Amino acid sequence: MKLQRIVAGAAFVGLVATMTACSGGGGGDSASGTVNWWTWDEKQAASYEKCLPGFEEANPDIKVTISQYAVDDYFTKLTAGFVSGSAPDAFQNSVPLLGAYAGQGQIMPLDDLIAKTGFDTSVFSVGLDSWKYTDGKQYGLPLDWAAAAFYFNDDAVTAAGYTADDIKNMTFDPETGGTFGEIVAHLTVDANGVRGDEPGFDKSNVKTYGVGSLASGDFNGQTSWNGLVSSTGWRLGDKASWPTKFNYDDPAFAKTLDYVRGLADQGFAPQFGQFTVGGAEQLGSGSVAMVEGGSWDVTTMAKVPGLKLGVAFMPTGSDGRSVISNSNANNIFVGTKNVDATWKWVTYMGSEACQSAAGVDGTFLPSIAASMQVAADAQAEQGVDLSPFTDALANDELYAAPPTVNGQEVVDTITPLFEAYFSHERDNDVFAEMAQKTEEIFAK
Amino acid sequence: MAIVKTQAAPRSARVKAARAMSNINSPAHRGDARLAWILILPALVGFLAFFAYPTFRGIYLSFTKFTVFTPPQWIGFDNFVELAGDDVFWNSLFVTLYYVAIVVVVGTFLSLVTAVVLHRLTASTVVRGMIILPFLISNVVAATVWSWILDAQLGIVNIAIEALGGESIMFLTSRGWVIPAVAIIGVWKSLGYTAIIIFAGLQTVPASIYEAGRIDGASEPQMFRRLTLPLMRPILAMVLVLNVIGAFQVFDLIQVTTKGGPANASLVLQSYIFGKAFGQFDFGYASAMALTLFVFLLIITFTQLRLLRASESDTN
Repeated sequence: MKLQRIVAGAAFVGLVATMTACSGGGGGDSASGTVNWWTWDEKQAASYEKCLPGFEEANPDIKVTISQYAVDDYFTKLTAGFVSGSAPDAFQNSVPLLGAYAGQGQIMPLDDLIAKTGFDTSVFSVGLDSWKYTDGKQYGLPLDWAAAAFYFNDDAVTAAGYTADDIKNMTFDPETGGTFGEIVAHLTVDANGVRGDEPGFDKSNVKTYGVGSLASGDFNGQTSWNGLVSSTGWRLGDKASWPTKFNYDDPAFAKTLDYVRGLADQGFAPQFGQFTVGGAEQLGSGSVAMVEGGSWDVTTMAKVPGLKLGVAFMPTGSDGRSVISNSNANNIFVGTKNVDATWKWVTYMGSEACQSAAGVDGTFLPSIAASMQVAADAQAEQGVDLSPFTDALANDELYAAPPTVNGQEVVDTITPLFEAYFSHERDNDVFAEMAQKTEEIFAK
Repeated sequence: MAIVKTQAAPRSARVKAARAMSNINSPAHRGDARLAWILILPALVGFLAFFAYPTFRGIYLSFTKFTVFTPPQWIGFDNFVELAGDDVFWNSLFVTLYYVAIVVVVGTFLSLVTAVVLHRLTASTVVRGMIILPFLISNVVAATVWSWILDAQLGIVNIAIEALGGESIMFLTSRGWVIPAVAIIGVWKSLGYTAIIIFAGLQTVPASIYEAGRIDGASEPQMFRRLTLPLMRPILAMVLVLNVIGAFQVFDLIQVTTKGGPANASLVLQSYIFGKAFGQFDFGYASAMALTLFVFLLIITFTQLRLLRASESDTN
């Protein structure tokens, strides 16, 4: 009987504890409380911290907590959060996941909030349309935009007898490689000091590769093969948004990718999987003379000790210069307990004040034109040249990554096939299969 | 509690008598059952909540289309039909079996050798203790450290190979090497644990048997084959079963070192299931795969236990 009392007592304590725990999270009235915001980029997390003082001064009742999780875990954590209801109120998201999150009703359409508060979406000069779902509603407010560039070692380029302008004005065609092909071959140096285009070049013993690996399992090849193949007029999707197929089966695509794979076979680029360190390390250690990277890498590249960095946009092909670009955006979790406060934070992040304050670090390219200018000027003072990116935007040389349905399944299906191609397990017959798979996945 | 105990003692003494009279419904006996249930309750709740319920829900989900955010939708055997035609699934099953085969064969052999060497050559507890160290390290830490050790560019293994005049090997980034390389990490991790189990088994073999063997002129390898192995059969069977089940559960090693790459060359079943469920939200299909794996494991373990006659040694 004593036992019974103990059990009952323990059960009661447990019950009370549960009840208090529940009531602790439930409270919160409009436009006050805590807003949780997530990003996967540790540098951007630090930059956006700079928005907090301004925001909290204007909204003293709202506390914002910024959390950062490495990109490998980020989306898994987010999914777990959706399921358990503990996802952050708002978070940075990437275009391929818009289809899944909006389609599953996990993120909020923002049109009503935009209308209610009279938020002016025209402040964004780029990225807004990538965040419209198939229902025509706006699910995200753009934070940034990104493009790719070739980062080169200016000393290596000079030693090879080129100028920075030669790199900035490269041409490309998949038959001969254009001046891009010539430059890459000439920048390659083997252990005996013989250049890639000279007789006696030893491709199995290369000291400096002309270009870092352009072979990538990435489905859109944003920082690898995309710029080359897009310069021929190729586009990833058969439509600009919500495509029914990715155009991997285009003969021009196969031709360009064969050229890219050939660079490694000739010893002008490292083999697929050969280098395990990032582009900045490859460039800084002198393993490569030039490497393609994202605009988000620019500050890292500029700070590599002992490296005189040059930045060049994509080579010009038969259809001019072009590369895929993507815009990350802020999404709001449908389960947020604090819509008004969250919206205040999200719109503040989409304001010139915040974008300029955070953008000066150069850790991202702001979606708001005025802030982009502030960022470019601030970085120029520190010797970082953002003009290749701003020029590309001004000259309309970027095309937006198409939002798709079932984005993650596309990634999981396409990546192994690209890897098989670049490691010579498959030949370019794989591309027709890839196009067909995307068609099946988009039709699901 | 003291009261309960003093009451229970004389009662248990009376149990035999009670049973003899087949008076199971006696009030005294009923009290026992109640106490028994109370004592079992925590384990039972744990079993029902964390084992039985998830298992049955998993079985149910494998017959549905379920994307977490919307209620599951019954689709009968569709997931299994899709499974039968899914090349990636069969590839990942093959990859898993390949991994298991290496881990079990190499792992069991090496842990047996290690245990015998420990048993015959050293009495030092420090050395014996050191053997189990890798087992105490978390899988994620071990995998991270090993992926640096085996790195194609910077790894110490490749630096050694190059110093000896060889060419650097892409251990974790080439199809031929990736599974053997991860399997070796797995073996290194579990070796100490299984070696200690075998070592404990070896200590139960009386030294007089080896003395007799020596008198009859048996060499050390002969004694190992004719005496140690047969006597150790139940222990080895257990080690084998543990190794097989443990190896089938490989996930964290792959997730940290390769994420299934290159080109799905190391995509073990668990990784594929994880990706389908938590990457693509296809929980119905993922459950169907998990159920299939469960059935495979059941069959394999059952067959193993039968074939190895694990419950008896060759002493009798």
